[in-house]
Amino acid sequence: MNLLSSVIKLVAKFNPAAKRWMHSFNGGVFPKYNKSLSASQPIRKQIIPERLILPLQQQVGLTPEVKVQVGDKVKKNQLLAQPSKDPFKALSVPVHAPTSGTIVAIEPVTLPHPSGLQDQAIILEPDGQDESIDNVLGVDGSIPDSPLALKAILLNAGIVGMGGAGFPTYAKIPNQAGKIHTLLINGAECEPFITCDDLLMQTQAGDIIQGALITAEALGAERIICGIESNKPAAIKAMKQAASNTKVEIKVVETVYPMGGQKQLTLELTGVEMPHKAHAVDVGMLMMNVATYAAIYHAVKFGEPLTSRLVTVSGLGLKQPYNMNVMMGTPFSALAREASPKSELNYPLVMGGPMMGFKVANNDVPVIKTTNCILANPPEPVEMQMPCIRCGDCMDACPVNLLPQQMYWHSQAHEFDKVEKLNVFDCIECGCCSYVCPSHIPLVQYYRHAKSEIKEIHAEREAVELAKQRHEFRLARIEREKQEREARLKAKKEAVKKQTSKSSEATADTTKKPASAAAAAAKAAAAKRAAAKTKTSQSEGQETNKVPSARMKAIEAAKQAAQKSAAEKTASQPEESKPKQADTKSAAKQAAMMAAKKRAQAKAQKSEEPTDLTQKTAETDASKKEDARKSAMQAAKAAAKKRAEAAKTKNKETESLSPDAATEKPETDSSGDKRKAAMEAAKAAAKKRAAAKSQNSDKTEEQIKPVDTSAEQTETDTSVDKRKAAMEAARKRAAERKAKQQAEKQDSDEQQENPQ
Amino acid sequence: MNQPTVSSSPYAHNNQNVRKVMLQVQIAAFPALLAHIYLFGFGIVIQWMLALTTALAVEYFMLKLRGRPVLPFITDMSALITITGLVFCIPPDAPWWIVVTGSAFALIFGKHLYGGLGYNPFNPAMLGYAFLLISFPVQMTQWTMPVEFTQHTLDFMQSAQYIFTGHIPDVSLDMYTGATPLNEMRTGLSQGQPITDTLSKDMQTTLGGLNSWAWINLAFLLGGLWMLYSGVISWQYPIGFLGTLAIISFVFNQVDPELYPPMDVVLLTGGTMLAAFFIITDPVTASTTPKGKLIYAAGIAVLVYVIRNWGAFPDGIAFAILLMNIAVPLIDQYTQPRVFGHKR
Repeated sequence: MNLLSSVIKLVAKFNPAAKRWMHSFNGGVFPKYNKSLSASQPIRKQIIPERLILPLQQQVGLTPEVKVQVGDKVKKNQLLAQPSKDPFKALSVPVHAPTSGTIVAIEPVTLPHPSGLQDQAIILEPDGQDESIDNVLGVDGSIPDSPLALKAILLNAGIVGMGGAGFPTYAKIPNQAGKIHTLLINGAECEPFITCDDLLMQTQAGDIIQGALITAEALGAERIICGIESNKPAAIKAMKQAASNTKVEIKVVETVYPMGGQKQLTLELTGVEMPHKAHAVDVGMLMMNVATYAAIYHAVKFGEPLTSRLVTVSGLGLKQPYNMNVMMGTPFSALAREASPKSELNYPLVMGGPMMGFKVANNDVPVIKTTNCILANPPEPVEMQMPCIRCGDCMDACPVNLLPQQMYWHSQAHEFDKVEKLNVFDCIECGCCSYVCPSHIPLVQYYRHAKSEIKEIHAEREAVELAKQRHEFRLARIEREKQEREARLKAKKEAVKKQTSKSSEATADTTKKPASAAAAAAKAAAAKRAAAKTKTSQSEGQETNKVPSARMKAIEAAKQAAQKSAAEKTASQPEESKPKQADTKSAAKQAAMMAAKKRAQAKAQKSEEPTDLTQKTAETDASKKEDARKSAMQAAKAAAKKRAEAAKTKNKETESLSPDAATEKPETDSSGDKRKAAMEAAKAAAKKRAAAKSQNSDKTEEQIKPVDTSAEQTETDTSVDKRKAAMEAARKRAAERKAKQQAEKQDSDEQQENPQ
Repeated sequence: MNQPTVSSSPYAHNNQNVRKVMLQVQIAAFPALLAHIYLFGFGIVIQWMLALTTALAVEYFMLKLRGRPVLPFITDMSALITITGLVFCIPPDAPWWIVVTGSAFALIFGKHLYGGLGYNPFNPAMLGYAFLLISFPVQMTQWTMPVEFTQHTLDFMQSAQYIFTGHIPDVSLDMYTGATPLNEMRTGLSQGQPITDTLSKDMQTTLGGLNSWAWINLAFLLGGLWMLYSGVISWQYPIGFLGTLAIISFVFNQVDPELYPPMDVVLLTGGTMLAAFFIITDPVTASTTPKGKLIYAAGIAVLVYVIRNWGAFPDGIAFAILLMNIAVPLIDQYTQPRVFGHKR
């Protein structure tokens, strides 16, 4: 190994790429580090600027809600803004005051963000006293015994990943203990110029180690590994000293950019190559930056929120680069001035390192929780971009093993599908390819553009798909309505024809159509019983009272007929117990139906509508053949339904009672002239199907129609009075059904939510 | 193209550029150039200067015609590499119009008509060479005899006179030109003479145990190793090419030494080393994936061996390279490396 490394070092004098053999991931580059510029200087004393600008949005996630007003006096560590929603559902972290002073404004300011956009910020004018509230988080200094307890503290302390990405730390930690077996400490700091982690490790090694131990304790992690690049000997020494007699392992890793990338360092430290799209947590590992661990320690031990951080102020344009523990909100320009710039700072400063940082839109942007470096490099003449000569240097440098030149080729040609196929979304935008490109092509810029284009294309495609579905549904609905209208017209015509032919045969109806009459009678009886038993069915009872006497007589007659037929089949049981018996019978039926429906629902959830529909139609067919007893049972069922609703029990029974196409149809058969009701039922069913995104809605519609028309044909003969009353009842039922459907839908929604 | 500004990261660069890469290749060709001058006379220098003049003129007019900025592209040195590759393939004392038409064809049809640097599917130097070989076979196969046969080479003025006028007063030119060893072997075989006989007859005069052709090849090898060392070219090209060629020639030589030349002769004759380090390494027309580079180089080696032994031409490097150029997109498609975190 030593021989190999010495050979490599020899070769590397002429060919730096040879050093790539020394580490486990592909590629990587060896830029000029320029770290001694700032690392050689001691950490400077904190400055208190004239104004602190505290953007509400400092990290990935939602903007927190402001808790102070203009003119308020605040103390250091005081809470200024708090997540408005449950932060465990929507990412958001609070903002605290970095020093004591007065809130002078809450206004939009330019953010230190690549976009250069503006957003709300709290402007704090420090009073210079720096009065603080101790232990503002109210911790007792003990190690949290569960991940949740730790997460709560981290959330309240407003800690986010301080390496650069700024993902809220609490959200990275799993809820259950034992999910993380290895805790990784990222002390690689592979970007040129930046030395804040280096100096943090030199000066606060103990805090970092303690922070890691606390986290490991709370999460139940067995191993703690810290990776530090070999170009930080002082930091390695300090960390090794602090880690002695603890379970923290300090590993020295090769100095290569981007060693500090999460996936790269994980591979280097553990030999585990994180699978595509997986997070570290998925493989039982959690990696955080050294500064994050130090912040965790301060939060858990002393209840200090994150209000300041170590920042490197460096660059070739500064005479005296330095590191400083900077208050959040300190403007970049104030910090750069402290480093005595060589020339006027009329060029944009860079936040972050030269490889992955970005130029700020305005040099007065504030330091935020993710600012690790402020870089002042005077603009250099840029070489002209030449055509790609396919040299493959970018491919050799890519730490993710992509084919940068081919992705560039396709991005340039706007063939974004091909770019996506070349796994552009695995690109970590480290900039190695652009760094080595002899043609000076800004490759990363092309990939960023391609990524955003691809995202847009996907969003567009989804929107188009949705619009298409909506359009198709609309067409289907129009067609269906047209058919319904025609059917109605036809039925009316036929009714007129029939009425002219047998105008005076209204009384014979009951004998002709025992089914419908019996059903009506049974329903009336059930309604009466329901009225007696429950409060909610009073309206039903009232309705029956309202029914004109002529109709009452008809109903009575029908009832008797129904009772007779029922008695014949139930071996002459007492009249009072008859509805009950029907009830029990129907209960059995309902159970069967419930099972069927559940099956259907399960299938519907798997988006297998066709089977669902066939089941429904089968039931419809079966129900058509039922006799008077069946319809009586249905009526009784309806009553039972009402009872159940009155009781407002949300158990399975209620759910089973809730109507679907199967339960509706027999009723349609049995009731009086229920064309409208049937229509409504059909519409409701159609709506339901649409909700389930049924594809053959038209088919079922057709299957329903014959039922409707037959019902119409049989029932147009009944007297007008009766029809009206029945219609009334049907409308009511339909309304009830709707209500129940909604309830059921909510139920099913909840059920759907639960598994997730 | 307007003056670009770096608007997004990275703001650092390793200061490599196309010009430097090309220059490194040019420098690596110098040992071979010197050896060439020593062994074959100053013919190559005149050829090279003729080609350079042609290249500059062609580049200028083509860039003007295409409406491209002239200065940055004429100084990208890619034309220099093209003509250097071509000049080494042309007989040192071939008539002047050979190299002029060859260079012009290579640059116009091999590069500019496809859209200039980076867009050409075929290696321009080899396209120019193939064009010359097909169009002027007599002139292209009459090589200047190396110093071991002629005892002294033509001087600069003599070469110039010969190249421009076609004759030199008071000098018998038959003495100076002849067939290359590869040609000799081919002719010998067609006359029923075994390879071994041809080799022992024609190559007994050597310089330090090796003949001139081998020396030229070794000079290319030297420059190539330097390019490998400094990371200008990928190791896959020479290893794949020379490795495959060595294996094939060894196997066939073992099968029938009378019919197939031995391995060292195959590796050190013709343009083997020139191709291995300077021609097939042209990134624009070669495969770019690590595995693809190996396949590409090995494919060229197989074709070279096939053309040399069973084809109609004494040295098949140009045709082998052009054929494999066609296959590059396919090779690249199927040799994409495994992306980090992805399964194969």
